[in-house]
Amino acid sequence: MGMEWYIVRRVAWAAIVTFIIVTITWGLMTAAPNPQVQQAVTQAAMDGENPAEAEERMEAQLQLDRPLHVRFMDYVVGVYTLEWGWSNTRNQPVTAALVSALYYTVQYSVPWTILTVLIGPIVGVYSAANQYSWRDHAATGVAFFGYAIPNFFFGIILLLIFGVQLEWIPIVYQTGVPVFSVQNVIQLTIPIFVLVTGSIGAIMRVSRNEAAEYANADFVKTAKAKGVSTYRIYARHVIRPTMVPLSTTMVGYLLAIFTGSSLLVEVVFGIPGLGRTLYDAVVAQDTNLVLGSTLFFTFVATIGNLLQDLVYTVLDPRISFEDR
Amino acid sequence: MATDRQSFDEIDWGQIDEESEREISPNFIIVAIGTALMGAVWAFDYFFVTGTWDAAIGMDFGNQYTPTFEVIGWGYDVTQLDWLFAFSLVLFGAYMILPLYQNPRMTKYYWRDMKRNRPAMASLGWLLFIFVIGVIGPAIIQAPTVDLMTKYQPPMFLEINNVYPINCVGEVAGGDCHGSLEHPLGTTGDGKDIFRIIVYGMQISMKIGFIATLFVVTIGSIVGTVAAYAGGLVDEVLMRWVDIQQSFPTFILYLLILYIYGASLFLFIVLFSLFSWEGTARYVRSNALAKTEEEYIKAVQLSGASTYRVIRSHIMPNSASSIVTDITLLIPSFILFEAQFAFLGLGDSTIPSWGVLIAQGRSDLAFAPWITLIPGLFLFFTILAFNFLGDALLDALNPEADAEAEQ
Amino acid sequence: MSDPHGRRGDDSNPGINRRRWLQAIGVAGAAGMAGCTGGDGTDTATDSPTDTEGDAMGEDTPTPEGEVEIPEVGGTFNTVTSSPVDTLNPLYNTEAGAGTLIGYALDMGYTFGPGNEQIPQLYELTTDDGGKVWTGKVRENLQFGGDYGQVTAEDFVYLVQEVHKSDWAATSASSSWPETTTITQTGEFEFQIELESANLLYPATYDPLMYPIPKDLLEPYVAEEDSQGLQEDQELLELEFAGNLGAYTLDEWNRSSGQTYSRNEDYYMQEATDINQLFENAPYFETLESRVVQEQASRLGALETGETDYASIPPERVEEFDGLDNVNVYLQPQPYNEVCVYNMRENGWNAGPGNLFREKKFRQGLGCAVDKQTLVEGVFRGYANVEYTWQPRWSKWYPSDADVPEYGTGDLYGQDAAQSRIQEAIDNVEYDYSYDGQGRLLNPEGDQCTITLYHSAGQNTERSMAEFIAQEFEQNAGIVVEVNAIQGSQFSNQYWQQEIPENADELEWSNGSYNAGPRDVATSKNPWDMTVVYGLNTYPLNPLTAEVFFAKDSFYNPYGYYPSWDAPSLWEEANSAESTEELNETLSEIFVKIAEDQPMGMLAFPSSRAGYASDIVGPQENFFSGWDFPAWYREE
Repeated sequence: MGMEWYIVRRVAWAAIVTFIIVTITWGLMTAAPNPQVQQAVTQAAMDGENPAEAEERMEAQLQLDRPLHVRFMDYVVGVYTLEWGWSNTRNQPVTAALVSALYYTVQYSVPWTILTVLIGPIVGVYSAANQYSWRDHAATGVAFFGYAIPNFFFGIILLLIFGVQLEWIPIVYQTGVPVFSVQNVIQLTIPIFVLVTGSIGAIMRVSRNEAAEYANADFVKTAKAKGVSTYRIYARHVIRPTMVPLSTTMVGYLLAIFTGSSLLVEVVFGIPGLGRTLYDAVVAQDTNLVLGSTLFFTFVATIGNLLQDLVYTVLDPRISFEDR
Repeated sequence: MATDRQSFDEIDWGQIDEESEREISPNFIIVAIGTALMGAVWAFDYFFVTGTWDAAIGMDFGNQYTPTFEVIGWGYDVTQLDWLFAFSLVLFGAYMILPLYQNPRMTKYYWRDMKRNRPAMASLGWLLFIFVIGVIGPAIIQAPTVDLMTKYQPPMFLEINNVYPINCVGEVAGGDCHGSLEHPLGTTGDGKDIFRIIVYGMQISMKIGFIATLFVVTIGSIVGTVAAYAGGLVDEVLMRWVDIQQSFPTFILYLLILYIYGASLFLFIVLFSLFSWEGTARYVRSNALAKTEEEYIKAVQLSGASTYRVIRSHIMPNSASSIVTDITLLIPSFILFEAQFAFLGLGDSTIPSWGVLIAQGRSDLAFAPWITLIPGLFLFFTILAFNFLGDALLDALNPEADAEAEQ
Repeated sequence: MSDPHGRRGDDSNPGINRRRWLQAIGVAGAAGMAGCTGGDGTDTATDSPTDTEGDAMGEDTPTPEGEVEIPEVGGTFNTVTSSPVDTLNPLYNTEAGAGTLIGYALDMGYTFGPGNEQIPQLYELTTDDGGKVWTGKVRENLQFGGDYGQVTAEDFVYLVQEVHKSDWAATSASSSWPETTTITQTGEFEFQIELESANLLYPATYDPLMYPIPKDLLEPYVAEEDSQGLQEDQELLELEFAGNLGAYTLDEWNRSSGQTYSRNEDYYMQEATDINQLFENAPYFETLESRVVQEQASRLGALETGETDYASIPPERVEEFDGLDNVNVYLQPQPYNEVCVYNMRENGWNAGPGNLFREKKFRQGLGCAVDKQTLVEGVFRGYANVEYTWQPRWSKWYPSDADVPEYGTGDLYGQDAAQSRIQEAIDNVEYDYSYDGQGRLLNPEGDQCTITLYHSAGQNTERSMAEFIAQEFEQNAGIVVEVNAIQGSQFSNQYWQQEIPENADELEWSNGSYNAGPRDVATSKNPWDMTVVYGLNTYPLNPLTAEVFFAKDSFYNPYGYYPSWDAPSLWEEANSAESTEELNETLSEIFVKIAEDQPMGMLAFPSSRAGYASDIVGPQENFFSGWDFPAWYREE
């Protein structure tokens, strides 16, 4: 019982959440007019036929004349079997569009996440250990700068400096270069740099503040009295409790950046990833693709939250699971 | 030294708690009076100024140009957002500023503490500047107008190759157009004065910050503490809702809504407020959850205190530092969100916000960088100031860390 | 008619794409544009209206005399587009940009070259009887790819009869083939088109312009009447059947980042050295890459650093790029105008009861409110001409100046001119509109009239124009205009196109979503007042096509315009004209009527400003630049 049972229930809940999201999106889609039916009606009107009949004919052809619950079941099955429909603005299946976009998104988001998760807490705790020293101030300065400078603004400026003025990086993102190549590293450096500076700021601050709270906790004092080195105290005793409250916000925070800033950065640097796919779909009014990418992002977020909760339970054994 | 100092927890909230037990606190009176005043002006606007054409729709949606204060010769039309802004200002005054006055000793203490923190003081000054100019400026400075013949004027002390502006307002020397006092920050590609846009943008940023924070903090902290304290089914339901809300990324959700309804600043603020409190709630809850495990809460409960009292006087104050941390991250993030949507061309284009200006100047960056740089820097410094201030507040409100620092 | 409007904006549609897609295809692809020479752009601007017209129609004889040195093949031609395309399926494409991209790999029937000369590509259209029967002669060296074999007249006839004219396929060309036009096969390589009434300019309508599509490919879909299958067909989408029918072969279509093409060694036009000797070994680039770069600043930066060979230049940067050694700027006339469209349908004019836009005098008043000369200089930096009627000045159909009232210039501009006309209009309507002492137009409730004006988001020139119009309206007409940015496709779906009414079959007419019925019953989903989102095509090669904009029951009337002049009979007269002179005379009359009636605010004809790497040989400064794109090469 206890933790295992909680984890099982938590996973089951994640599945339920995805189902609820799928249901909501289905509701949205059903409420909106179907473009194919619209087209048929338009065509009929142009040919001087009866639009109402054309509508019925088209609905029959698209099987929209079946009872709602049947259509809903079909849709749910479709979502879970990855039949997400046809993208009208790209003329390819939505899943194919998302897979090809994911290819580019992964290339910068993996190094970005790793760097953020590594650098953020470490620098934060280090700052806390050296509170009010010049290193702390420098780290705080970097954190504030990174957090306060709007990603897209920073991106444009860097692109102007390094791309147009210095010509160190290509202005136009090259999709053709191999993933593990010098060219790819060069063209992804600036976007990753922008994203990392944007995301570590908050994490550094939260971890610094949390770690500072433990700075005069009894166990730290005891350890200090025993003559344990400061480095050891922080590495072994402070980081873990610091990560507890941090873990509750970090995943959500990173996901918010993933869905927001990465979209901006993709637009600024011309990376044809997921964010830009969604943006283009919204701009071009491609319903299937909008829904597909929305589902994708929410699935990622659900799974991210699931992981976050699991990490939380592992990290803080004080929480009891009996009544959760 | 640290020991004889009265901390935030002991003084401030204890006193407010006492006040809440009285029938009406001065804070509440201020809110009531402010609300009543606004109600009167609103009624005046609704019944006397807004034409029946609007009344037919039921509300003044800003479609008709009907200055609220035309009677006193002030051609300023008050919109829904203005009402909300005014209301949040009243609340802010009653529950943030007034307590400072009510507790002069504590205020003096914090002030002394803050004064030593130079970045925080500078930030406070900057935000006050933005706030005051933002509230007053648009009422006295004319809205920026298009003047195609004087586009791309450089800011004072700068110059631009004379091929870009059509007519140069300042002096022309060596083929370069120099900036002039008439347009201290230069003009855009439409010939709009950037200084005026910046002033108007201040108000928009302040509106976004205040109104949205009001919603978010209220909903978030209530849900968070209640969930943590009540536990059981209540916690389950609330947190599961938070889960769903969190799984539905706000940015995406807004894009989806935008896809269906189109953009407006009002919609933006309401939507972001209603769907952004989950972070606050989670934060407050996890903090409170850890605290409920602590002995003294158990002791208070054993002594028979009511649930409301426990939340009000123990959990809320104890989570205050988390909430402040959260606000300082939230306000700038809302301002940033607005700028991002404006940059993407998906925002409310009818308002002269900084984000709109950044987006406009982006294609002129190579030869007229100030169009993007000036609002970008204002945005940057404002976000920065919120962060510095938040950090200083956190230090001040967190006696433990403070004590440690002085050891 | 498929969409006769162009998405406005040099930002979103760089290069040739500004033209109607059909025309873009007509000029065989290329990122062509026109203009005056890259050399000295310094004196291009401002006062003289002839600057940007110059030699708009180009030289009559494109073939240089004597031996021409054939350039060497090699290298890459890099070009950029500002947005990804929806489809490369030739049957369903309606976008200008995609038309260009398809054109690299697949030629259409014919095109027009300098001097308005018909250049036969796949086939040549001729007539012996003054334009009633047209004979198409198909080249005999055309090969589809795969197993589809040779292109014959049968493929074209089948395409028209079984697909374009069918009621299930709904291809983008279907409106070009009404019931009354018949097409028959008269030989293995010959077909005949018979029109209901003679039309001397039939090829210039682009109606008989076809893509070659293999009959065998179409047959299964025809049998099933499967339009969705046809739209999603892999071979059509990836142009796999193109064989030797295009200068390049499409290698890869990466949906969001662009296309890669490689040289087509067997390009059929290599045999057409009679048209241009340079075709002998065409094309001259080993590869062609088209990239999607959504940021204008990035496109221009790439042109500056040589990452791309082409980008469209915004007006304020023409001088700067003209000064660069490695870039030439070509100013090319193009047929799209800048118009401020008024919504005369039931959901237009949301400032009060009634719809003032329906009043001719009111529209004339609005015409007097905007200073067009300032607009041209301020927004387009002089790289545009003022527009008074539905034809650019360089067109040979433009009526002589004296006849056309010039709204927005001289006496016909200013507060008095505008308000006196609007006053007349509001005296004429049943509602109690009035001007107050400060020159503000008040609605019957006593509030100042406020209307909205939509423009495409992210397009600086368009926004400047909208802001300027708004300010001029407020100043001169006393109407407050709220400027709103919107995404183009959203505007199209929710504002520009109407919803088909339930009882469409009982209406006087209902011609699809661009004119779903009479203006009192058919409206778009959302109300709107004015828009500058679209530039409309003035069809300078064949203005008869413009009839579609000025008939209340045509296929294209999103704005609900009912001519106050006798439009049907005048157009009828023009259509049945038997000589160029007769046609010219009738068209002159029509254009004067249009200028008087002010169906929309006609503002300006901007030139395209195309920046090419200076070592690219081929771009010209006329309307037809790009027609010989396969013969372009890079100078050593």
